[in-house]
Amino acid sequence: MTWLVWRLHRTQLYIAAALLAALTVLLLVTGLQMASQYHSALAACAASHSCANLASTLFLGSHAVGFGVIMTLGVPALFGLFWGAPLVASELETGTSQFAWMQTVTRKHWLAVTAGWMLLAAAAWGGAVSGLVTWWSGPDNALQLDQFKPGRFDIMGIVPVGYALFAMALGLCAGALLRRTLPALAVTLAGFIVVRAVITVWLRPHYLSAVTVTYKLFSPFTPTGSYWQLAQGVLNPAGRLVPAANGLAIDGVPVGSLPSACAAPASGLQPPGPACRQALAAFHGFITYQPASRYWAFQGIEFGIFAALATVLIAVTAVMLLRRDV
Amino acid sequence: MISFRVDGRSVVPPYLQIVQQVKQALRMGVLDVGDKLPTVREVVAATAINPNTVLKAYRDLERDGLVEARAGHGTFVRHRPPGPPPGTHSRLGRSLIRWVAEAREAGLDDESMESLLRVALRAETEEETA
Amino acid sequence: MIGVQAVPEAATAIRTIGLSKRYHRVTALSEATITVPEGRISALIGPNGAGKTTLLRLLAGLTRPTGGEMTVNGGIPRQDPAFLAGIGFLAQEVPLYRRLSAEDHIRAGAHLNPCWDGVSVRERLAALAIPVDRAVGTLSGGQRAQVALALTLAKRPRLLLLDEPVAALDPLARRNFLAILADAVAAGGLTVVLSSHLVADAERVCDHIIMLAASRVQLCGDIDTLLAEHQILVGPRKDTSAIERDHRVVQLTRTPRQVTMLVRRNGPVIDPAFAVSDVSLEELVLAYMGQDAPPTLARLTSIGDSE
Repeated sequence: MTWLVWRLHRTQLYIAAALLAALTVLLLVTGLQMASQYHSALAACAASHSCANLASTLFLGSHAVGFGVIMTLGVPALFGLFWGAPLVASELETGTSQFAWMQTVTRKHWLAVTAGWMLLAAAAWGGAVSGLVTWWSGPDNALQLDQFKPGRFDIMGIVPVGYALFAMALGLCAGALLRRTLPALAVTLAGFIVVRAVITVWLRPHYLSAVTVTYKLFSPFTPTGSYWQLAQGVLNPAGRLVPAANGLAIDGVPVGSLPSACAAPASGLQPPGPACRQALAAFHGFITYQPASRYWAFQGIEFGIFAALATVLIAVTAVMLLRRDV
Repeated sequence: MISFRVDGRSVVPPYLQIVQQVKQALRMGVLDVGDKLPTVREVVAATAINPNTVLKAYRDLERDGLVEARAGHGTFVRHRPPGPPPGTHSRLGRSLIRWVAEAREAGLDDESMESLLRVALRAETEEETA
Repeated sequence: MIGVQAVPEAATAIRTIGLSKRYHRVTALSEATITVPEGRISALIGPNGAGKTTLLRLLAGLTRPTGGEMTVNGGIPRQDPAFLAGIGFLAQEVPLYRRLSAEDHIRAGAHLNPCWDGVSVRERLAALAIPVDRAVGTLSGGQRAQVALALTLAKRPRLLLLDEPVAALDPLARRNFLAILADAVAAGGLTVVLSSHLVADAERVCDHIIMLAASRVQLCGDIDTLLAEHQILVGPRKDTSAIERDHRVVQLTRTPRQVTMLVRRNGPVIDPAFAVSDVSLEELVLAYMGQDAPPTLARLTSIGDSE
């Protein structure tokens, strides 16, 4: 059965291997360049004691490659689309599944071997791409400290493997449910996007209770490392949120919410006087965030969620194929 | 070696067609005593008929004593069916042509002539059994 | 039970009792009771929609019945390598991978089946001059059917179930296909059920018949025996109740002067008024199929019955 799976999909396998090889070469070359660029910049700024500004002045690599790396967000979806969905759907649509089933292969064995190799391929490919991107992003992560943020979090570490498993399982399940290739493709794509979006926006911030720190306006607090900021703002003395400062502001408090002691003259803002400062002391700033130390915990939790979803989908696929009349 | 032809549209059942073709071949000298008949598989491959049909035909021929089956070797011709003396066919053929001409002159068409022949054959069978 | 012949248990390839299959509100097969002895080539005849494909899929274990029971190759059909190894099923839509060659399929078969005779496939295809290296999708319909048949036979099944395998084939391809089939049965150890809506093919290569109409089994038995049991009686128009009482009248046609009956004899017919003649397989099939015909059709067979 393994031979048949390989023989049927060897073209896709070769293409995937070629693409991976191309990506490897690209990222290796540019990654090494970026690393050396970063280290020389570090050496230079250490000499002139201007490293604090490095993050905003140094741009590593090229825009094109950077864009390409961001696009690896979509890689897991490709598995579901080009491999998972068409596999089961087209076998059921054209009836070729009957070839194997009538060659002394039980449906259980057919599904186990086929799905097994497909999921393994998805995990391996997803892992390889993720590994490459994680390594490649090393200098950038050290510089920008933004790997916990959505968009960066999703393309590094172990979560891409979880997404790939999920996409593949979703494709297989859609194929088994709908039995037609095009509808299965559409459902897989839509399902993948919706689930990823929902989890990233609504679930991820709450995996672990966020930490909130309030501080005096004059001594703002910034968490260390690559933390993930969820919310930030200013509270007035009554504890209510002050609207964000879009224009003129003193220490983050916009003109419209300033206490009377800080009334600004028509000619513009002046540095706050002692009365104003005293009034502002009643204001507080706050930041709600996930500490950098929780990065790997979040990676693990999100991977677990997608792996569990993949498991459920495979179970549903098995039930559908083994119980229903095909 | 003899090759069989089975006509699916004929009123004669397939196994009987095979029996008749074997007897015909023996009469004409195509098959002789000691010759091997085609195997069941060879007949089936050539005519696409059911193997049991061929078996039935060969069993019939064996019962009539014309062939014998030797286990592991095949089916072989044993006897020739008793036939008319040489020259009989041509003699009877000529007298039949004369009869047909006479019947045609009398106004009989083909069907009527065939009908007469069938009646005569049946009458002869009934006479034999009587 | 119509037309079921008693056969000793040991020699049956297929035995079903009251087999039924319902899909929601549609009954695809109803109370099918059949017996197919081993070594037969059985014709599964019936109009489209009569339940032929459903019956074959039930026997192959591809579908589960909603009622009744069945024994196939001595066991109950299920997803089990031992059972699957003994069954060969060829669906109407010849399930081959279009982009793979025949040689690829042969190699796949070697990997998938415990018992595989790849040499026989190559020999059969070579004898038919079918190339094994080209993608199967580039072959003609007849050639694809031959490839599929050769592959199905190579796993050495005990029972072969074919769903309208020759429907789309030209006469020569059809002949070749049936010849290979008959040859495989002649080699021994194989029973075949072959569905078709052409009676001519059945007459030539089959020795057993299962007739389905309106999702029910109308006839099941050896062809020779069934033909011997049925006869056509033609005679002047008169009272036929005696005949109808003693024998089973399958079809009755009346004209103002004449009555024609197709009966299943229960002993010899002794009525000098009737001319007795043999019935052909086609007439028999048509007569049994007409039993469930819609009312307008039935009326047509009683022309001038107004008296």
